[in-house]
Amino acid sequence: MPLETLPQKRRRVPAQTTLPESSTVRYDGPTYYDRPVVKPSKYGYKVWAYTYVAGLAGAAQIIATLASLFGRPRMRSVVRNGRYLALAGPTVGSALLIADLHTPQRWYNMLRIFRKTSPMSIGSYILTSFGFSSGATAVAELLGNLRWLRWLRPAADISQLPAALTGAGMGTYTGALLSATSTPVWAAAPRLLTARFACSAMATGAAALSLAERFGGDARNADTLDQVAMAATLADTVLSALAEREYRRRGVADSLEGENAPAAENRLSNGLEHMLPLICYGVNAVLPKPSRALSTAAAFGVLAGGLLMRSTIFHAGNRSASRPQDYLGFTQPQTDWPRLLPAA
Amino acid sequence: METQQRMRDYPDSSVNRMIPDESELTAGVKIEAGKRYGFFTDTTRCIGCKACEVACKEWNALPADNLGLSGMSYDNTRQLSAHTWRHVSFIEKVRDSEAPPDDGRVTRMQPYQSNWLMMSDVCKHCANAACLEACPTGALFRTEFDTVVVQQDICNGCGYCVPACPFGVVDLSEVDGKAHKCTLCYDRLKGGLEPACAKSCPTDSIQFGELEDLHQRAHQRVDALHRIGVGDAYLYGAPDSPGATGGIGELNAFFLFTDRPETYNLPPAPTLPSTRVKPALLSGLAAMAGLALAAGMLIAGGGERD
Repeated sequence: MPLETLPQKRRRVPAQTTLPESSTVRYDGPTYYDRPVVKPSKYGYKVWAYTYVAGLAGAAQIIATLASLFGRPRMRSVVRNGRYLALAGPTVGSALLIADLHTPQRWYNMLRIFRKTSPMSIGSYILTSFGFSSGATAVAELLGNLRWLRWLRPAADISQLPAALTGAGMGTYTGALLSATSTPVWAAAPRLLTARFACSAMATGAAALSLAERFGGDARNADTLDQVAMAATLADTVLSALAEREYRRRGVADSLEGENAPAAENRLSNGLEHMLPLICYGVNAVLPKPSRALSTAAAFGVLAGGLLMRSTIFHAGNRSASRPQDYLGFTQPQTDWPRLLPAA
Repeated sequence: METQQRMRDYPDSSVNRMIPDESELTAGVKIEAGKRYGFFTDTTRCIGCKACEVACKEWNALPADNLGLSGMSYDNTRQLSAHTWRHVSFIEKVRDSEAPPDDGRVTRMQPYQSNWLMMSDVCKHCANAACLEACPTGALFRTEFDTVVVQQDICNGCGYCVPACPFGVVDLSEVDGKAHKCTLCYDRLKGGLEPACAKSCPTDSIQFGELEDLHQRAHQRVDALHRIGVGDAYLYGAPDSPGATGGIGELNAFFLFTDRPETYNLPPAPTLPSTRVKPALLSGLAAMAGLALAAGMLIAGGGERD
């Protein structure tokens, strides 16, 4: 069997658009006593809770920055709340991450090098710079209330810019972190997963700030933030549907919807994250005066659903890594190697 | 020959001092920094004695794990883990795929290769290693012998290398909270000794040497097997072969198989996870930018309802 007959480059996966929506491509070839081929991650609630907090904090900083740059004077409370909420990322988030390390006393080794191929390395620096810039912004915001420190307020307006940029990274890099592994469900649709994390971050940030405005600020601000949350939720719903179709096409959907998957958890997550907010926001949009109850219900759906979505994706991923059928189906040669391998 | 001359300097069967450049005598290769070393594991020579597992455990003082009977033929070790760096797999091909469906007996056997597959699994020391590219602390690094090693005094147990490895090799230890895997006996290589598993293998199924040399031997072996009728023999992990796909390049520890890789619990076409970093990040940032634009417009517009 001459090896020169092998293709030199790995070709792109050809689009198989003829697959019916409801079918799932499954691997039914040999396995080694049904043993897992790859190892699942050891990430528990601390890590998926961190992805949620990081996204929320980063998005809160982005919204606060946008409100500071383009919003009306009545949006001052949104700016203030957003800057304080952004602090949850470097404080609660870092605590969760360091507690998750199996040798936490060496947490500072995360900043020993920068490795551009590792989203965890990239993310460590995003978290650090977000921490410093949003910390500086929040401190300037807090102390700028004192008359003799009024000069700090424009300083806050400057430091919020790098904070917002790194805040965009905070909501995104965790999706890339999951995608850059060999876990089938996480690796099957890297672009869609990361974009979903980004949309969920913006939705949760907007929903949290909207709740704060609804119960202690200006209802008009809350309406605007509700519209932002609705746009993000709509985008997330579309990307979610596309991602599920891609998972079926790559043969890894069994961990999400198969008989072993906790279908109840998935449906609850979907309902809370997508259905409830879209219905409530949609009804609010057509009502002459937006209902406070619907807005609150929608915000609750977004916030709880976002958390449940992260949990579902993490559990489904770890499950798919333990299933040899998922990984072996995911790693079948996409190009034609009939002459090299013995026939299955 | 010079080597045979050197061998005569050590006639005793038990030597109580270190032999300089011992690998020259035991493996036929002198170990020098800057050259690329690896394993060629010829599964057609493996007899399933597990001397490699024992030697590895003994040399690296690894604790016992994966205890108990598994019911998987003679494989009670089950998997590579933080404390198991060599794992011998046993596959008994009870039914021949070409036999009629009702016939449970094996009616056909390849010449020279029984229907019993045995393979000693190990860290592949990939040329483009997913674990190395995933490690944020730099604990995983490439040595001067072109192998991949975890520095135990730097690793903080983040565990990102564990799901990254496309072959499921590296693992986090619950005992000491750090990641562990085969080091290709880095300490032995530094002392001029060949790795413990290669030295203990009685049939030379595990061959240690310089990569070009091993590739040559491997191709010759595949040709020889094809000539005598073992038509299914192929290399797994050599450049442009199954196992060395998707950006991984090649595996410094490569294999000769006579069945599909899935039978040996290995993926036929794994991918390098870091190829997904840029597309994922760009898509995520694009989504963020789009939503931020929409949010900015909504905030500036004000959504006048008053």
